[in-house]
Amino acid sequence: MEVANGAATTTTTPAENGEREDVGGYKLKFCTVCASNQNRSMEAHLRLAQANYPVISFGTGSLVRLPGPTIHQPNVYPFNKVSYDTIYKELDGKDHRLYTANGLLNMLGRNRQVKWGPERWQDWQIGYPRTEQGKDRGHAGTEGGIVDVVFTCEERCWDAVIDDLLNRGSPLNRPVHVINVDIKDNHEEASIGGSGILDLAESLNKAAREEREVMGATAFDMATAASRISFDERVPEIVAEWQERWPNLPATWTLAWF
Amino acid sequence: MATSRQLSVADQIRQLDGARKLVLKDVSYYPQVIQATMPIIGPSSHVEFRRWGADFLAEAFSTPAVPLSGRETLALTVLDTLKSLVEDPNQDVMVLRSVIQTAASIYPLAMRWIINNAYDFPTWGKMTAIKTRIRDIWDTAPLTVRICCIKFVQRVVLAHTSSVNPEPRRGDPLDISRNMVPPNHSVLDGDQLEAEASGLLDRMLSVLEDETSDPLLVDATLNTLSILVRQRPKTSHRIISTLFNFNPLKLATATPLTPKMKVLVKSMEKTTRMLLTHLYRRDVHNPLAGRMQQYVERLARSRAEIFDENGRKRAMVDQVSVGEAKRQRTATLSNRNHTLKAGENTLAQVFTFTNNDGLKNFNVSDAIPAPLAAKISVRTIAQLDTEILQRAIDGVRARFAAFQEVCQQPLNPETAPLGIEEDDDDYEPDYYAAEDTEQLMNKLDSSPSDERRDLQAPVLGALPLPAFKLPPPPLLDPEQAAKVGQGAIARVFGTMQTLEDPTTKKSKAGLNRLAASSYDRDSWITVITRLATRATAGLDDISVKDEHNALALPTVSMSDSIREMLYAYVMEDFRKRIDVAVTWLTEEWYKERVQHRFSSSPNQPRDAPANYEKWTLRLVDGFFSYLHSQDKVLTRFLSELPELTISILARVKLLCRDPSLVNLALTSLYYLVIFRPPVRDIALDTVQDIWTEYEDARPTAAKYLQKWRPGFVDAAQKGAGSTPVGANGAIVAT
Repeated sequence: MEVANGAATTTTTPAENGEREDVGGYKLKFCTVCASNQNRSMEAHLRLAQANYPVISFGTGSLVRLPGPTIHQPNVYPFNKVSYDTIYKELDGKDHRLYTANGLLNMLGRNRQVKWGPERWQDWQIGYPRTEQGKDRGHAGTEGGIVDVVFTCEERCWDAVIDDLLNRGSPLNRPVHVINVDIKDNHEEASIGGSGILDLAESLNKAAREEREVMGATAFDMATAASRISFDERVPEIVAEWQERWPNLPATWTLAWF
Repeated sequence: MATSRQLSVADQIRQLDGARKLVLKDVSYYPQVIQATMPIIGPSSHVEFRRWGADFLAEAFSTPAVPLSGRETLALTVLDTLKSLVEDPNQDVMVLRSVIQTAASIYPLAMRWIINNAYDFPTWGKMTAIKTRIRDIWDTAPLTVRICCIKFVQRVVLAHTSSVNPEPRRGDPLDISRNMVPPNHSVLDGDQLEAEASGLLDRMLSVLEDETSDPLLVDATLNTLSILVRQRPKTSHRIISTLFNFNPLKLATATPLTPKMKVLVKSMEKTTRMLLTHLYRRDVHNPLAGRMQQYVERLARSRAEIFDENGRKRAMVDQVSVGEAKRQRTATLSNRNHTLKAGENTLAQVFTFTNNDGLKNFNVSDAIPAPLAAKISVRTIAQLDTEILQRAIDGVRARFAAFQEVCQQPLNPETAPLGIEEDDDDYEPDYYAAEDTEQLMNKLDSSPSDERRDLQAPVLGALPLPAFKLPPPPLLDPEQAAKVGQGAIARVFGTMQTLEDPTTKKSKAGLNRLAASSYDRDSWITVITRLATRATAGLDDISVKDEHNALALPTVSMSDSIREMLYAYVMEDFRKRIDVAVTWLTEEWYKERVQHRFSSSPNQPRDAPANYEKWTLRLVDGFFSYLHSQDKVLTRFLSELPELTISILARVKLLCRDPSLVNLALTSLYYLVIFRPPVRDIALDTVQDIWTEYEDARPTAAKYLQKWRPGFVDAAQKGAGSTPVGANGAIVAT
């Protein structure tokens, strides 16, 4: 329990708000998912975008819910229809002090720099080109409207994503790794979780790059190829190694289909 | 040399990427771009091009942005390329993966094409060759390719078996199935297709039957099965029974769990659980739904056992004895002691039969979240041997009886310690309400641990529940009641305004018709008039007396306020609504007759208020001043009124003050004389009075009187000197 998340990691996480120079090369496409597409998924979205990964993000809840003056009066908004900017302005107008004090304005202020507004996973038309979202952070590479890895930030969201994919019936025939990283829904944990997700993304991307480099050879022998380990096979191992480094962010993985 | 070539590859890829971005912006360019790139991405091209091309094709044939029909014709143009790419034994793995994905998307399209274009056998031949090749490498290829083979085979099985949607065009357009294959197709044989599908499905499911399967394959297979079970009924039983026999936790039992093993076991277990949960939730009527649910719960339990032992040992130490107690319980059931110890006993003790101290001291509300405890209780009770349950109930009953004997005080539900241990009260605030709570807990700035504690379900033991009585409603004083009643009536009038008059006259149902059953305007009129006349019949007079005696009631009676509204309603457009007036007044009259009959029998006759005459006169006064000479409505009104009195006819007489209305008044009266014998006399009296009082009316009046009272005019003219003509002449002049 005393082991701090990420204490054992050797890969240094980037400095806060640090943009990274784009080194190019092959990149996995990521998707981050939480309940309201506000805190955890957006923190991770930003972190991955800062590291120049293609990334999109969603929420699996029925509505965007933000804390209000009491627990019985949450602020509720529909997905896909209200921008972060609108929410920011509304809450700022309602009670500037309260929403500054609980960090909501800070969060929304960040979010409106990342993309237009909260999107709902279940309404995402997978495989539909996303060419209109050019201003979103992490947009480059996601134009095709598909991703390679989905990170959810809570078991419930992972369940919702898997159930939704089963429901859609996998019409695209494309494999996708769905990984849950359990993050408590508060600013501090979201920040730690964001680092954890970025670390995992780095590890996965490294493996994916290696796979592409290895297979670059023109001659490919089917018999010996079986001994080589592909990216897909390495994912559980990478998750396990990552879990050792981040013991307080319990993870679940499966290979699903779009 | 090498570097320059490398550069040119990168440059060309960049160009290709540009082309791809173009099609993503406007998918109508797909045919051109695919045509143009096909030579570049062919089997002999550089691996980078092949990869790019295969990825591009996989994307092109899966994107929902291109309609299915468009994809179908495009598919025919790429089959050659796909076939040569997939058949190359030295093919790059990444290319192979994407090619098989593309083939999976194209297979149903190609099948639909051959169904509708049976002549095009070569095209179907290419598709079949691709399928054969994929089937061949399915077992030997690297895992990453094999998962794509699984997906391809799933598409083939989907296409080869009958769908639940009998009419493919109605349902999902992508739902291409055996249903679409005509029985006498020259190329496709439905039975053969189905047999092939059945074989392929068996091979697919063998992954779950083989204990040594790689978890990647297991997950990939599990995640393809949902749509097969839901949309291909013939496969569903086979698949679900395979799932029942599949134990995703087998891997965990054998070896010590390495971190990777943990990830794999957890993954397979969770994926299985998700699939089954998904299936029984989507199809609750499935005969196997109950078993699926049981299987899921069992799986969750054994998973908890495996992982708890490894991961949460410290937290579980004091529960070890609980496990033992559980095992012992059945043994001690028969020889339980039914008597309670003397003195005070908690409710929990009344219900406790075990002798195991560990179990007695185990506080359920501390260790187990309430919803889980409820679930366990329900399941346990459901599965309990009825005999044992009965014995336990008898035991508790005996204890209560003994308890009552000892201390005569009965157990007071308000003061009994409800919340000690066995509090199975229904009251269970839904503090776990999934996402809401999670979001509500999102008090992002403060320390998370504190926040969580606030919102957790209250510990059951700490929640005493006194009997709760709803506060009595505030008393409704008569004035408020009247106000509310008037509001209701006003709304009925509001509704009537919106109801159009029936355009066509409905055939009357005669005596069999029911009043107010059709909810049209007439029905509402009936309701309202009866409400006004009958609802408070018999009460009115009392209130009238009260008014006379004490003048205590400041409010108008309900009936009168309805009458006021009816009056206003008729007056708004009396020519059209005269039938309403007649209906209303008829009801008034009828009610008075009935009331009269009842009140005349007892010794103490009541003076029922004469509403009929009062309101008839008010109406007459109201609309008579608006009449003009052509208004037949007067004749109709007078002839339809159930009872005419002298005072009503006196009002008609007054109409003659206006010379233009003389004719109307007299005609109406004459009509009464002819057609209503009961009132003939008073009508003639009125005509007589008119003759006497209004000189303008004399010619017409005399004509009528001549016929019915021949002697009158002559007699009157003889004594003309003494008649007060002058006075009446003055009235006429004004």
